[in-house]
Amino acid sequence: MPKYLCLQRRVPGTKPIATRPSPAEMQAMYEKFNEWRERFRAQLVDLGGRLGDGRVELHSAAADGPFVEVKELVGGYMVISASNLDEALDIARECPGLVSPGSGVEVIEIRTPG
Amino acid sequence: MNRSLDHSFFRHEYGRLVAVLTRRVGVRHLQAVEDAAQAALLIAVEGWPRDGLPDNPSAWLFRVANNRLLSELQRSRRHGELERHGCDALGDSSSPATVHLRGDVRDAVLRMLFVCCTDELPIESQLVFALKVVCGFGVREIAERLFMTEGSVYKRLGRAQERLRTTALELDGLTTQQLASRLPAVQAVSYLLFTEGYLSSHGETPIRQELCDESKRIVTMLAHHPISATPDTFALLALMHLHSGRVNARRSATGGLVLLEEQDRSRWNTAEIALGLSWLACSARGETFSRYHAEAGIAAEHCLAPSFGQTRWDRIVELYGLLEAMAPSVLHTLNRAVALAEHLGPAEGLAVLEGMDVPPWLERSYFWHAVCAHLRGRCGQTEVAIQHTRAALAGAPSKSIADALERRLAPWLEQAS
Repeated sequence: MPKYLCLQRRVPGTKPIATRPSPAEMQAMYEKFNEWRERFRAQLVDLGGRLGDGRVELHSAAADGPFVEVKELVGGYMVISASNLDEALDIARECPGLVSPGSGVEVIEIRTPG
Repeated sequence: MNRSLDHSFFRHEYGRLVAVLTRRVGVRHLQAVEDAAQAALLIAVEGWPRDGLPDNPSAWLFRVANNRLLSELQRSRRHGELERHGCDALGDSSSPATVHLRGDVRDAVLRMLFVCCTDELPIESQLVFALKVVCGFGVREIAERLFMTEGSVYKRLGRAQERLRTTALELDGLTTQQLASRLPAVQAVSYLLFTEGYLSSHGETPIRQELCDESKRIVTMLAHHPISATPDTFALLALMHLHSGRVNARRSATGGLVLLEEQDRSRWNTAEIALGLSWLACSARGETFSRYHAEAGIAAEHCLAPSFGQTRWDRIVELYGLLEAMAPSVLHTLNRAVALAEHLGPAEGLAVLEGMDVPPWLERSYFWHAVCAHLRGRCGQTEVAIQHTRAALAGAPSKSIADALERRLAPWLEQAS
């Protein structure tokens, strides 16, 4: 089954809303995330994680340049398997907290030789 | 492998983290403590579904929150913000974050409650603060539960925080005497929390249930701790269980209100009533007879009566009399009148009503009119009873209350139409 890279992206021009969910809300988030993970257990290849600091290595000496923006816009990644792009999008869309105001997910097929 | 968590785990854990960490670093750092507890829970939300629950989730959260808090305090100390407090602020920050004992945690949570329950604060502020810091409710959740705006919740929280900052009282700084003198305030807040859940005529059942559960949790902690295990605490806990044991029968399948005489007593929760009775037995020692004893006694009489008709109304009349003497309130007098009408007849009940100095707010309330309609009607004063019936129905705050009144006042309602 093909694999897909999911990138959590911040919608350009929006600031992440600094929310302070209450403990009860956090527990609800935790439970929803657990349900989602159980439901798609077989298809979640790598739950990935949040992206921290990084650096870009280029052929030329430019260390940051145009990549700054991209780095700031991608919040996290994960890898899932699905029979096609639509199914992959469905799984990603249902992941709690991934698609919300100001944030979305980009799903890209990973092509491996063979 | 996926052990599940109790449905209020995060909320209660928040209260435990705040109490234990506040004890470590001091009440003046409450804001930083709350931030650290919040951050630790958020990290758990992301990490636990991925990695599975840690062996000891509470210890895990404590370690994470403790580390966050200490690095935050060190950071602000570097910024000189702690200068005026001196460098003791970090307390035993160099000692490892040991896994605390259950008893210590409960002790810290209770002390937190004693710190915020002071006569210097209006009881509404104490309640809001306890709901946030001890029960772990968010501002919006508190507003929903107490039928207040979020703005007034913030205002009350602010007042409580300000007060705590200026008094600079530490969790371990309360003397045994101070703890004892604050116990009535702690009991009053717990009682208020219970009545908000149990008596409120609006709001959804699960939300109300949650407030009752929280109040019982707190008073159970009080009943098991040497500083607060007193006969009146036991009576308070008995009262809560005895009321809760009957709560199921108060609602019909369609959500309507069921009057006491109509209740199916087989739907009462006998296990909870038994628990209430055993706490009531514990409360019967020493010299104290508090208002909680009187109220628990009344609730127990209702629970023990095989039927409405076989209720020992004489005992209930007597207990309401004691309650009135200890906590004067026209509502207690009104209840005594109703019980007396069942015991000796409507004329005796009516005599109590007529002897009352009725404040305007009571005279406008639907329950005053309902009691008047019932007693005057039974005394043959049909015309007046009809007027009171109309007034009671017009003032009923909800459909379910209006329906119950219609059944109760049916004889006069028929004549009114």
